[in-house]
Amino acid sequence: MNNEVIVSVEGLSKKFGTFEAVKDVSFTVNRGDVFGFLGPNGAGKSTTIRCLLSLIAPDQGKVSLFGKSFQTNRREILANVGSIIEKPDFYRYLSAEKNLEIFARISGAEVSKKEIQEMLDFVGLGDRGKHKVKGFSHGMKQRLGIAQTLLHKPDLIILDEPTTGLDPQGIVEVRNLILRLKNEQNKTIILSSHQLAEIELISNRMVIINQGRTLVEGRVDELLNAQELVVRFEVDRLAEATSLLSSAHATSEISIISEKEFDVTMEQHQIPIVNKLFVENGINVTAIEPKRKLEDYFLKTIQS
Amino acid sequence: MRILFILILLFPLSKLHAQAANVLLNKVVAKMMSVKDYSANADVTADIPMIKILPSKAKIYFKQKDKFKVEAKGIVILPKQGFTDVNSFISNSKNYQAILGDTTVVNSAKSVLTTVIPNGESSEIILAKLWIDYTRNVVMKTQITTKSNGTVTTTYTYGDKVSYGLPSKMVFEIDVKKFKLPKSVAADINNTDNKSKKDTRKKGTITVSLSNYSVNQGLSDALFVK
Amino acid sequence: MLLKNTYNEFVKILSKPRSYLGVGALTLLIGIIIFAMKVDGKSIISFLTSSFEQTLTFNGHVLNGNLIAFIILQMLIVHVPLLVALVTGDLISGEAAMGTIRMLATKPISRTQIVLSKFIAGALYTLFLTFWLGILALGVSRMIFGTGDLIVLNSDGLVILQDADILWRYGAGFAVAYLSLLTVSSLSICLSAFAENSIGPIVATMAIIILFTIIGTLDVTVFDSVKPFLFTTHMAAWRSFFEDPVSFDNIRESIVILLAHNVVFVALSVFAFNRKDITS
Repeated sequence: MNNEVIVSVEGLSKKFGTFEAVKDVSFTVNRGDVFGFLGPNGAGKSTTIRCLLSLIAPDQGKVSLFGKSFQTNRREILANVGSIIEKPDFYRYLSAEKNLEIFARISGAEVSKKEIQEMLDFVGLGDRGKHKVKGFSHGMKQRLGIAQTLLHKPDLIILDEPTTGLDPQGIVEVRNLILRLKNEQNKTIILSSHQLAEIELISNRMVIINQGRTLVEGRVDELLNAQELVVRFEVDRLAEATSLLSSAHATSEISIISEKEFDVTMEQHQIPIVNKLFVENGINVTAIEPKRKLEDYFLKTIQS
Repeated sequence: MRILFILILLFPLSKLHAQAANVLLNKVVAKMMSVKDYSANADVTADIPMIKILPSKAKIYFKQKDKFKVEAKGIVILPKQGFTDVNSFISNSKNYQAILGDTTVVNSAKSVLTTVIPNGESSEIILAKLWIDYTRNVVMKTQITTKSNGTVTTTYTYGDKVSYGLPSKMVFEIDVKKFKLPKSVAADINNTDNKSKKDTRKKGTITVSLSNYSVNQGLSDALFVK
Repeated sequence: MLLKNTYNEFVKILSKPRSYLGVGALTLLIGIIIFAMKVDGKSIISFLTSSFEQTLTFNGHVLNGNLIAFIILQMLIVHVPLLVALVTGDLISGEAAMGTIRMLATKPISRTQIVLSKFIAGALYTLFLTFWLGILALGVSRMIFGTGDLIVLNSDGLVILQDADILWRYGAGFAVAYLSLLTVSSLSICLSAFAENSIGPIVATMAIIILFTIIGTLDVTVFDSVKPFLFTTHMAAWRSFFEDPVSFDNIRESIVILLAHNVVFVALSVFAFNRKDITS
């Protein structure tokens, strides 16, 4: 990984009528990044990504890919980008192979039939090439979509919600494919998702947006301190428990959730110690729910 | 009294005229009857309001008494009356009364007007006027008025088959005021232009030039089966 | 890239069942008309010549392939636009409805080229349909009924065209009829650029044709200034080749107006599609 900026978004804004879908969003993606684009549904992820691909013209702001702008270098940029937006849609009445041939023909690169077959093999659809897409499951379409993004060997791959609607096995398959792209082909990948776990598993850098605005951008490992957790305790005597915890731990990060629940930030090894403390003081603990700090942060930020 | 006198004088005169007319018509019919059948080449030129057609060629066949056939590669327009119906009408003298009229020159031939009136009301022909060349015993001009088709005037020119009473050219003048066009199935884009150019003539002519006659060759009836 | 995407568009058209629906419908309709003519063609001749029949006789091979072809064209020229729009009205909006427009628009091909390739493919399909119409209407009819002079009923009377003088008229007539259908194709693709569902542009195209045809037929002075500029007024321009003399000035005017419509529809589509935010 190096610091060559592949994607640069500055002050991006887009309105649909009176609705502001994206407001002043900025971030950068470096070569080799698997960049997580995190936000709840309706946060403006898809609009931003569509702006990145020139599907939508931004009202304000600057988008450049590979240091070039769409106004002057649209073709050149898109020849080096592979993408799936929201869900991969194909010509249902054509076979997987024919679909890939159609997209390969206008991908800006010469793609042979052999390469198409290799790509189908790569995504695990090697024996389904002649089958019409209308008979494909969502997961198969998703894999075909990924094959389509890779046909012309682009440097940048943009995947918008690639696991939406997939069953658990499909999610694993797609996730593994992305990891293979990262590990085997060293692609720069932008991965949008509303699931933190997915971003956390794959991405090295991320941005969180909500209600069209950038909330935070940075390295995933920096944003997510693996040791620190937010732990939710459910107890019968909340006031005594929090007071005991405050005096014993001197922590200031206690949030009261309900009459019986509170959250507290701590490291994993501290959980049994705190539990023991409560029990020794006659406080009944009915539930302990540890959450990673980033997840908590994500949920809190989008709730706020 | 004076009128009665004139009528008494005229009665035998008119009867005399009728007899002379019948004699003349019989001569014409006799000539016609000498032709059992014929075939001829026809060049047809039609100049009829509301119909545009280029000159066309056909072969016509006739066999007594009223068998008639037109053979053409293209489309040939002919008048419905003129070829056979006058002949068959005058061939039976019981059907009509004929009166001789004035003598005039038609197509350079001295001809006498013979007015033929059908006896009954069943006949399609209401009135027929025939100008007959009384030296050659051929019809030079006819003017036939029918119940349904108005008046058709035909002028005849004769060539080498005059001895059979077969013309080399017939010019039909037909009444076209009854022509009405059905609404076309397709919209005509130049409707407005055509209105101004509309042909308002009431008469049209069809000229049939006949050549290469083959007379009395014994045409079979099968030829006329449609 | 334009050629490559045009090839793609053609592959798509060829793979869609609805493309064959039009061809099949055309074949069936023409088959029915030819059958009806074979069984009861004389009544059609009577319709053409009825007002003249009391005075004149029409001799010769009147019910021939040339006449049947003309009758077929007159009847079907109203319906073929629907068959054209059925395929072309779907070319852009169908992709929007299916979602594939996103895939297309993220490829290194300009949006102008995407639209133009669809217009070219639409034009080729329309050309094929016109050829098919010509082969069936003229070719098959002439094969079954033979050739001969053609009686055409115009608003100012009957025109009888000689057999030898007909083929060029059909050739030119089909060319102008193609231009009319191309205008329908362009209109439907243009509407397709503004829509995101398949059926909308098809219905809208037919609605526009019906509306303009009614305006063109209404004998109301208020529309007189508009009528000459409606493309539907010129959709029957092919028929002018069957007049005598041929009104080349009128045909030229129709060609110019139809071409102008095509240019406007293409330009409008390119402009709209380039400015369109693809949100489907």
